[in-house]
Amino acid sequence: MPPVILVKNLKKYYQVNQKEPGFWGSVKSLFYRKYYEVKAVDNISFEIDEGELVGFIGPNGAGKTTTLKVLSGLLYSTSGQVSVLGFEPFKRQTAFQKQFTLIMGQKNQLWWDLPAWESFILNKEIYEIDDGQFKKVIKQLSEMLEIEDILKIQVRKLSLGQRMKCELVAALLHSPRVLFLDEPTIGLDVVAQKNMRDFIREYNKMFNATIILTSHYMGDVQQLTKRVIIIDQGKIIYDGLLKNIVEKFSSHKVIKVDFESEVEKKQLESIGQVKEFTRLHAVIDVPYNETAKRSGRLLNKFHVADLTIEDPQIEDIIRQVFSSGV
Amino acid sequence: MISKYWAVFKISWEQGLVYRLNFTLWRVRSVLQLLLVYFIWWTVFQSQTQVFGYTQSSILTYIMVAALIRAVILSSRAIDIAGHINEGSVVNFLVKPLGFVRYYFSRDLADKLLNISFVLVEIILLITILKPPIIYQQDPLILLLFVMSASLGLLLYFAIAFIIGMLAFWVESAWGPLFLVTIILEGFGGGLFPIDILPRILTDTLLLTPFPYLIYFPSRIYLGTLPPAEIIKGFIILSFWILVSLLLILKILDAGLKRYTAYGN
Repeated sequence: MPPVILVKNLKKYYQVNQKEPGFWGSVKSLFYRKYYEVKAVDNISFEIDEGELVGFIGPNGAGKTTTLKVLSGLLYSTSGQVSVLGFEPFKRQTAFQKQFTLIMGQKNQLWWDLPAWESFILNKEIYEIDDGQFKKVIKQLSEMLEIEDILKIQVRKLSLGQRMKCELVAALLHSPRVLFLDEPTIGLDVVAQKNMRDFIREYNKMFNATIILTSHYMGDVQQLTKRVIIIDQGKIIYDGLLKNIVEKFSSHKVIKVDFESEVEKKQLESIGQVKEFTRLHAVIDVPYNETAKRSGRLLNKFHVADLTIEDPQIEDIIRQVFSSGV
Repeated sequence: MISKYWAVFKISWEQGLVYRLNFTLWRVRSVLQLLLVYFIWWTVFQSQTQVFGYTQSSILTYIMVAALIRAVILSSRAIDIAGHINEGSVVNFLVKPLGFVRYYFSRDLADKLLNISFVLVEIILLITILKPPIIYQQDPLILLLFVMSASLGLLLYFAIAFIIGMLAFWVESAWGPLFLVTIILEGFGGGLFPIDILPRILTDTLLLTPFPYLIYFPSRIYLGTLPPAEIIKGFIILSFWILVSLLLILKILDAGLKRYTAYGN
């Protein structure tokens, strides 16, 4: 079976107008404009199969959203080949549009002044969903998201978390096979974030939907995706299992320890690199293959109240990837 | 297929009813404007019976009909497209199987229907209170031509506003140009006075531009005093401008979408 999403040597360059600061700069820019080129996406290639849930990671301006927009047919590519479900997205054919959805955490499609229900009805007509299917999907999704009781309330009166849930329903009414989720958890509190993650995971499993997810929260990526594509300055710097990159960069483990009596920082330096220290509590990095030995020494030399050994935070690993490359 | 745009129409109508205060104030503004123009002309006719070839009753009729036409034509949501482009929510329509122009036209019609139903009530009220000597046109042919010209004018204004709205693909705000057009419309479009009271040469020149066909032309047809030759000429020029503006819409939309590089990253 051919991949659902195929991207080959995709480039997207923008011309950006450069204006000098201040009043005279504005006047000057009326007559003469300097342009410079931004390589938002610079020669990337990847393939995604049916049912895969892939995480797109990268700092702001790395090219994540640009890529999603090209895949959705919102942007023309500068060069390269793009195919989603066998369609060329920028042609924006109806048959294609009925099979994918784009959800942007920072943009909304619901009609702000009306209950979400009205927007659902509108989408039902736009996507030409028949009554039976419409009822079935609404029931299914609103049960999963627990929003049956808020569908008739004006959208502007909902909380951000409730609104995002309704946005999801609106975007999924037509049962798309491909989902592009751009920062779906942005601004949500911890509980709402977790609900959103659970939903995405469940949806992926239930419908075997192909999903690309971008997020600033490593938690989203870590809990949802096996495969990640790390992108920086328009280039892909890693494409593979999240697990592998974590292992590769986990050259150390993190020991967190509480002491029964106060200790000196100096005493701990023979154990490993002390990252945090408060006399009764310390966080120490130790080399990966000496974890057992070093923690044994710690237990012998000090009165330890509690001790845990952890893998390094995924944020740290990604930071390391960006600073040193893969 | 049509049910899509019917749904757009319905939801726009509901949306319009949400902002009742806003809408009411908009209508109050229209009524005040109508009263102002009405009384200016009423005063002019206190000392004479005919001005610029118009009798009191024909000019007051003109003012009333122009108010009705204005509510039909100028209540347009087409300019919303500018905001949608600038804030990036145009993305919502572009990813859906939805005709761009048809979408906005449906919203436009909903807004017009809302305004028409109000302006009819207002005009009936004003006529009852002020009892102006207005002309009730009864010739079915003239009424038919009146409805036709008003419908074409509606299309033309939608096209003009849509084109201006699409400027947002290139510039950050399209309100400036629209504001200018609104001013031109009120003056040269015949919103305040019938333009044929201007010097002949000016009137003839204006009649070659699209503007008089939005308010002046249909209102003037209603009065029933326009010679058939001028009616025919008017319809030809009006059709020409509609054709030009529809072609421009397609061209500009195509170019705009090509150039569109949604904000933010």
